[in-house]
Amino acid sequence: MKTETKRAVNAYTFSRIWNSAFLMPLLALLTALVLGALVIWVSSGSFLTVIDAYSGLVRGALFKERGLSESLVATIPYVLLSLAVAVGFKAGLFNIGVEGQFYIGAICAAWAGQVTDQLPAVIHLPFTLLSGALGGAIWAAVPGYLKARTGAHEVITTIMLNYVSFRFVEYAVSGPLRDLQSSAVQTPHVSASAELWSVAAIPERLQDPLNALAVAMCCGLVAFLVARVIRRRRERLALARPVTYTIGRGKPARAPSFFTRHSSLVAAVVTTALVFVALPVLVRLWWPFTDPYDRLHIGLLLALVAAVAIWWLLWKTTIGFELRTVGANPNAARYAGMNITRNVVLAMAISGALAGVAGTVEVLGVSICRCLPMFFSSGYGFDSIAIALLANNNPFGILGVSFLFGAMRNGADLMELNSGVSKYVISLIQALILLFTSAPVIMRWVFRVRVDRKAQEGPLTRGWGGSA
Amino acid sequence: MTLALQASGITKRFPGVLANDQVDFDLAKGEIHALLGENGAGKSTLVNILYGLYQPDEGQVAINGQPTRVASPHDAIAQGIGMVHQHFMLVPPLTVVENIILGYESVTRGTKMFGQMSVLDRRTAAQHIRALSQQYGLEIDPDAYVRDLPVGAQQRVEIVKALYRQADILILDEPTAVLTPQEADDLFVIMRGLAQQGKSIIFITHKLREVFAVADRISVMRAGRMVGSAKPADATSESLAAMMVGRDVILQIDKAEAHPGQPVLRVENLSVMDDRHHVMVNGVSFEVCAGEILGVAGVQGNGQTELAEALTGLRRVADGKISILDHDVTHATPRQITEASVAHVPEDRQKHGLVLTFPVRDNLVLCSYYRTPYAHGVEIDYSRIEQTAADLIHTFDVRTPGMATAVGSLSGGNQQKVIVARELARPVKLVIASQPTRGLDVGSIEFIHQRIVQARDRGAAVLLISAELDEILSLSDRIAVMYKGRILDTLDAKSATRQICGMLMAGVVQY
Repeated sequence: MKTETKRAVNAYTFSRIWNSAFLMPLLALLTALVLGALVIWVSSGSFLTVIDAYSGLVRGALFKERGLSESLVATIPYVLLSLAVAVGFKAGLFNIGVEGQFYIGAICAAWAGQVTDQLPAVIHLPFTLLSGALGGAIWAAVPGYLKARTGAHEVITTIMLNYVSFRFVEYAVSGPLRDLQSSAVQTPHVSASAELWSVAAIPERLQDPLNALAVAMCCGLVAFLVARVIRRRRERLALARPVTYTIGRGKPARAPSFFTRHSSLVAAVVTTALVFVALPVLVRLWWPFTDPYDRLHIGLLLALVAAVAIWWLLWKTTIGFELRTVGANPNAARYAGMNITRNVVLAMAISGALAGVAGTVEVLGVSICRCLPMFFSSGYGFDSIAIALLANNNPFGILGVSFLFGAMRNGADLMELNSGVSKYVISLIQALILLFTSAPVIMRWVFRVRVDRKAQEGPLTRGWGGSA
Repeated sequence: MTLALQASGITKRFPGVLANDQVDFDLAKGEIHALLGENGAGKSTLVNILYGLYQPDEGQVAINGQPTRVASPHDAIAQGIGMVHQHFMLVPPLTVVENIILGYESVTRGTKMFGQMSVLDRRTAAQHIRALSQQYGLEIDPDAYVRDLPVGAQQRVEIVKALYRQADILILDEPTAVLTPQEADDLFVIMRGLAQQGKSIIFITHKLREVFAVADRISVMRAGRMVGSAKPADATSESLAAMMVGRDVILQIDKAEAHPGQPVLRVENLSVMDDRHHVMVNGVSFEVCAGEILGVAGVQGNGQTELAEALTGLRRVADGKISILDHDVTHATPRQITEASVAHVPEDRQKHGLVLTFPVRDNLVLCSYYRTPYAHGVEIDYSRIEQTAADLIHTFDVRTPGMATAVGSLSGGNQQKVIVARELARPVKLVIASQPTRGLDVGSIEFIHQRIVQARDRGAAVLLISAELDEILSLSDRIAVMYKGRILDTLDAKSATRQICGMLMAGVVQY
């Protein structure tokens, strides 16, 4: 009986999560693809073109040489930027300025990357990433402060700051930061120590013992956290179990050994040591990524870590609790003793830092010259707003949707080549996805999906009257 | 006497609320009929139905004896009903004439050159408006810009706008809320003049003084029902106050004798202003001791809201001093006040007390999420929160499908229980409860009353602010009555009667 109820509850929870998180976006995607197909069909006059276009899209995104790699390369900034947008949304802020913060992050990284070549990578790379993050954070914190203190709406201020940042970057690239050795208008190459390692370069990089140690320590940290999560779960189960006390001559409980008490620390140390010794040797013996033109780089791991970290921050910490409370009901947040100004500024700073890291990644890992060229246009920032909405601001949803958008962006070229359909059809399809996601009423009407009242959420951001 | 307007059996339901329950209302020609009641009593719903903004679920409306249906505000205007909203519906950058003719523009035929285009005829309109303002003594300059006018003049523009649209029935929704007493007196003169010239007026207010000043007839609403009607000559302030705040079911609380201890909350000469910088609390002083309940009675809007907000750090104190257990907390933040072992049950539970989209679990730790055992450093320990939540849901009898359910989907009573559970489960020394049972069902009211008495018996000082006189009388050990931002008198609960309290609530000091 009890298991039955449990199963029923699980099924209910599953169907609710399915309905609220996956069903609508999937339906939106499907509808957008069908409408996109119609547009291609009508404009070209032949249904074969539709097949050519979509097969080209899929091949370009996944199966052509380096197709998957390139899709992932485009996914990385999408993940970071849409996380930035999502953090803002969760705190009730519509950070429409991620594109500008992305630019500021890029220019800060371009400066920090070339400022010295004396530092080892384990210091220079984090320093450059931090510079980009800090630049974006400060750039975004300004509209946050204005919003909290004067009520200046962040949509207006961030979008205006976008233009300021575009022009500022143009000035910096053509003026003080210009590479005088190059004929192109661009910043100097960043030092090798500041580059984000491409996958092909990893075996070579790991030959430096400092790099190997840093990687090993990162792995150790992950092991530490995983072990801690496992131990927490075990403790929670023990907590739920009824406690039985033994009185008198009961068998004394075995004292926990050093290893059980410090299991996470042990896991960390062991992992670090193992990785440090074994990894450089192993990658030398066998490494699948040998293509020197493969642009995939370790920024991918950075994006994954960022997604997990933001999830943890929003849902498992007091900081996230405050941000979400301020976003959902600022009056109640004030009543509960939270500092609205601090939280609004903090949310914008975190958001801007993520966007700044995205810009850094583009400079250090992707651009051919490992520098910031004059005409550095991305459009990533505005797509990311769509991604965050589509993923319902869920960090893990963002990973999936970002890959979808990255793949479409990457596959578009081959689609054009294959079928003669303009690659801007992709923008059309993405716009349709966004339209259908943000107007779920249409989708529910078309597909006759019941409204689950409990899954309804409050407004995403506050309007002009939002008294912060 | 012919009836200008008659509404019978009006019922209107909103999700979870019965806003109007079988309301009968009528208005004679040339009469000023005051509609009296607390906030949320259903006055606005009723007049919004008459003005066509809402459609009633049940009931009929008749105008001049003819049964009719008011489909929309446009329809209402066509049938001769005009409404002056509490928040003016004017366009500040336009002139008075432009505002008045907006939507009802008179035009002259366009010349050949402009084809079908018509030209706005401001001059005729201005003449008409001057004539109207002279006829009814409403002094306005048709060519002035609305943004330059003081509030009282803007209100006259609204009235002229209604008259320009040939309204015979005027609905004034809390017209005095935005006016100074002097402006209000001017308005009453205008209202008298309008009535003498045959206009019928529905006048909504919750201020007793005003109904005696201007009304021909008074109807009182409470909790969605029409509870009584009287001529001003037959009514007294106290009888009206009792009608406004009374409750049909008088709940008897079993409580032991209070054993007051040391003073916990001490308020000296406290003055607080509202958002419009009107003084709402004016030099109030009182003390609340451990183990006693001080009830603050008063008709809504006499400064109780601002008092509670000032005491809990949500509103800036203009003057005076607040101390809790001899610590000065006059300018303390809400967090500091919570940390001083103060529980606060806020007046507006959905605005301040809860985050409706959050699960019950998170709302139960809304004020303590950052402390051990719920958080270590910045990391929240949800297993501890879930334990506490399960405990509280059980002991406070919160009826919820689960602790992960969004609190917004619970009933009002259960929402309030979530707040009471969160606030009273902590070890508190002072409880500030504002309207703790407003809009709840009898069962929840009783439960919450018991919890408040329990908190007192455990040695907490309780400040109970309520507009329900019966709640005050049955719970309090001492009763302070607020009127116009002052405490008129503090009575011992044993010697206090409904009559005395009612008179004090109406501002009558001699009894």
